[in-house]
Amino acid sequence: MTQPAATLQVFFMDAAHGQRFCLLHTPPSDQAVLGHVVYVHPFAEEMNAARRMAGKQARAMARAGFAVLQMDLMGCGDSSGHFEEASWDAWVADVALARHWMLERWPGVAWLWGLRAGCLLAAQVCRQDTHPAKLLLWQPVLSGKQHLHQFLRLQMAGDIVRGESSRGTSRLIHLLEQGESVEVAGYSVSAALAQGMARADLEALPAGTQIFCLELGDADSETVSPALSAQLQRWQTSGCSAQAGVVPGSVFWQMQEGPDSPAWLTTSLRSLGCAVPEVLA
Amino acid sequence: MAVETDVKKILDSVLSLQGRSAAWQRHTPLLGAVPELDSMAVLGIITALEDRFGFVIHDDDLDSAIFATLGSLSDFVATKLTK
Repeated sequence: MTQPAATLQVFFMDAAHGQRFCLLHTPPSDQAVLGHVVYVHPFAEEMNAARRMAGKQARAMARAGFAVLQMDLMGCGDSSGHFEEASWDAWVADVALARHWMLERWPGVAWLWGLRAGCLLAAQVCRQDTHPAKLLLWQPVLSGKQHLHQFLRLQMAGDIVRGESSRGTSRLIHLLEQGESVEVAGYSVSAALAQGMARADLEALPAGTQIFCLELGDADSETVSPALSAQLQRWQTSGCSAQAGVVPGSVFWQMQEGPDSPAWLTTSLRSLGCAVPEVLA
Repeated sequence: MAVETDVKKILDSVLSLQGRSAAWQRHTPLLGAVPELDSMAVLGIITALEDRFGFVIHDDDLDSAIFATLGSLSDFVATKLTK
């Protein structure tokens, strides 16, 4: 039996300094809407690599009864502005705008779904909210500072692949500290973006926040990484409800054409409290 | 050699080789021979090695020669582990 398809709308949302490209997935018209999900994409090339998986998950969530919004943040994808004009604060404002827009239309159960650095942005929006949020975090970046450093290392990795002598990251860090932009792997990163990211973490979420994390691994033999395990403990101590699962799959946010990771789709649907259709399970 | 097995496992997972690395030997070439090995993948391997073995790889540690063969990468890891 074929499942009724979710509806897709493509549009631009007015925002500060231009418009944001949006994909809105809604449940089939004969289905009750259970709530909404706002997807927060990862940083730089990871956003493009993960696009297919994110689309699959968004469609699956919509078929399961959620309205799902995928917004390209300022300067990313098909949104207006250049990447180098983007700042961390502008991205936080974009996520907050997306959440507000969805809350007005589907005020029920409200999820923020982040991937990698998108989890840091989701957490920041969650901190600003008056009532506790629900967070679905895919392979969350726990430290913005570490993530920035790893991104800057891409330049070095490019040097290695080309067989050139590697330039190191200290020069880039120095330039950013001077307020200059740096170019890495085709992305021009402003100091305002780098500084905001370097300060971002997942701490200090409001008590009562519900958190589900998915981490890549061999579900039969591996446990959650020590770093995420410590983070879970800190969330629980501060009154949040936090769970994490090890889910098999590929590093789909780093590979342009990696194999599918169906277990991520089904685990995420279960986290949202949805029944998992047979075609996915 | 235990380190080599771990390195193969990391390569298999980061590059999504689906078991292809199982047959690799010390002299199996990596850079220039494995099409999946682009800059994102090199970074992924560096990060995965740090996570798996719990050491820090400094910028100065890195050059192309390390990624020449499975043997050179395993030797690099073995040296890091003795420091």
